[in-house]
Parts: sequence; C-alpha cells; structure tokens
Amino acid sequence: MKKGRWAVLLGATVIALAAGLYLGMRSQSDNASDASTLLALSLPDTAGKSQPLGQWRGKVLVVNFWATWCVPCREEMPQFIKAQQEFGPQGLQFVGIAVDDADKAERFAKELGLNYPVLVGGFGAIELSRTLGNRVVALPFTIFVDRHGNVSHTQLGPVRPDQLSSIVSKLL
Amino acid sequence: MIALPAFSQVNPLPPDRAFRFTARALNPQTIEARFAIADGYYLYRDKIRFTAQPVTAGLSVPPLPQGKPKEDPFFGRVETYRGSLVVNLTLKDAAIGQNIVIQAESQGCADIGICYPPQVQQATVPIRAANAAPARPDESRKSWFD
Repeated sequence: MKKGRWAVLLGATVIALAAGLYLGMRSQSDNASDASTLLALSLPDTAGKSQPLGQWRGKVLVVNFWATWCVPCREEMPQFIKAQQEFGPQGLQFVGIAVDDADKAERFAKELGLNYPVLVGGFGAIELSRTLGNRVVALPFTIFVDRHGNVSHTQLGPVRPDQLSSIVSKLL
Repeated sequence: MIALPAFSQVNPLPPDRAFRFTARALNPQTIEARFAIADGYYLYRDKIRFTAQPVTAGLSVPPLPQGKPKEDPFFGRVETYRGSLVVNLTLKDAAIGQNIVIQAESQGCADIGICYPPQVQQATVPIRAANAAPARPDESRKSWFD
C-alpha cells in the first residue's frame, strides 16, 4: 500500500476512534434512536477519498460493518447487493464499513461485485461499532437508519433475507 | 455507549470468554499453552501465533496440531479448532526465577454466524525448578482494539 493511503487510513482510524469516544461520552444524553452522530462521521473510501455518511441523509441507510476475514460477513453480502439493486431507486442505500485495510477491502469488493460504497475504517472501526451498540465487538454488525435519521434496527450477526425484506419494506 | 435500540437476536460471549487462554510451565524448558474454546465457537489454525517476552528466553513454537478441515469459499481449505487446543512451547534460555510472558494471537468465530477480530491474550509464567501451577491470564490482556 502506498504511504499516502496509509496516512489517510491512519488519519481515518484516529478520527473514527475519536468519534467513538465522543459518542461514548454522549451516551447519557442522546436520544436512543438518533443516528445524527453516525451520520456526522466521515471515512475514506477504498480510493482514499473522504466520504461523509451525511451525504446519504434522507435515504433508508443500511450501514454494514464487515471484514475480509469474516466469513459470515461475506456470506450475507450477496443479498445486500440484490437489495441495493432492487430497492436503490426507491431510496435504499447500503454502505459497507470495512474493518480492514483498503487494499483487502477493495479486492474483496471487486470479487464480490459490491454495488454500494465501501468505506475503510481499519481496525479502529471495530471500536466505532462498539460505541454504536456492538458490545462484543464481533462482525457482521449492521445498523438500519430511516429517512429521518433515526436508528430503527441494529443487528449483530447475519441479517436473514426475510429480516432484510421485512425491515427494508417498512422503512421505504 | 449509546443506548441504541437493541434488536440483536444473538447473545454471544465476549472473545476472551469464548477463547480462554492460559499457560503454565511444565518444566523450565517447556510451557504448556492452552486455549479453552467454548461450545459453538472455533479458532482458525493459521491465525494463531505465540511469542514470548523477554525474547532472550528463546521461544520455539512447534507445528500446531492438525485442525478440523473447513472449506471456505474465498480462502479455500482452512483448519479450525474446537473444544481445546494445547501446544507445548519450548524455551531454550529461560532462567529459574524468571517470569516469562507468553502472548497468544488468535482469531475465531461462532457458529451463530459472527467472527471476532484478531485478539492478543497473554499469561505470565514463573519459571521454577519444579512448577506445574497454571498461570492466570493477565488482567492487562491486550487486544488490537483496546
């Protein structure tokens, strides 16, 4: 990996960790379903370009924490691809946050044919996910945000196809 | 932590309880490293590493025992451990009275469909002339996300 990309990733990791600490400190006063702090985050995509999650505000946003070393994560992705293709025009937007480095995430995204953005959180992203409710810091971890910026569902472990269909159909 | 709506359908163990690591000295030249793996959880053979501090103790790690084969659609044939894993590590230059820190890196998953990131656990092993007492896992267990 090029040094510049490492620097971007390192910076992103620091930002993510700082955001995580910030979120943790705000835990007592936040509205339980408010995703505004999640939507305020920015992480680099696999090309190193910073991507604010707020750009998808107003859509039904599905944020999926995954990693290349997580088989269950990869196994659930084809249904995300299908759902993105089918319901994207209606306002559904998946975003993957890779708990991995950019090179691996990019390679797997291509192999899997992901049709939605992959942001790179590095190992720091797992700590970020902890602040968002992933108490045992395992993967996959998925957060569903409605069009109004509220968290409607979080899930540790694979999202079953019937669950995905049920949740998304209610939010769209 | 933000009190987001909790809808998770699983109640998994934290990684240090799913994969308990201990180590003890069988004799001044041999450390028994052990993972106690909870039911429904497994470790990947090729993700396990052992190191020792101080490095002057001269740790030697034998080939790990064969695991249970598992076909991964992306990584091909991998091997996993369930139940327990015991590895006898060799110390070439540990001195009697010395405390050796055995550090174990591992990565595993649960059958319920989750995987834990690589974690590092450690145990401090006192080297005595005749010693078979298990070392407790260090309170200062390290993990890359700590």
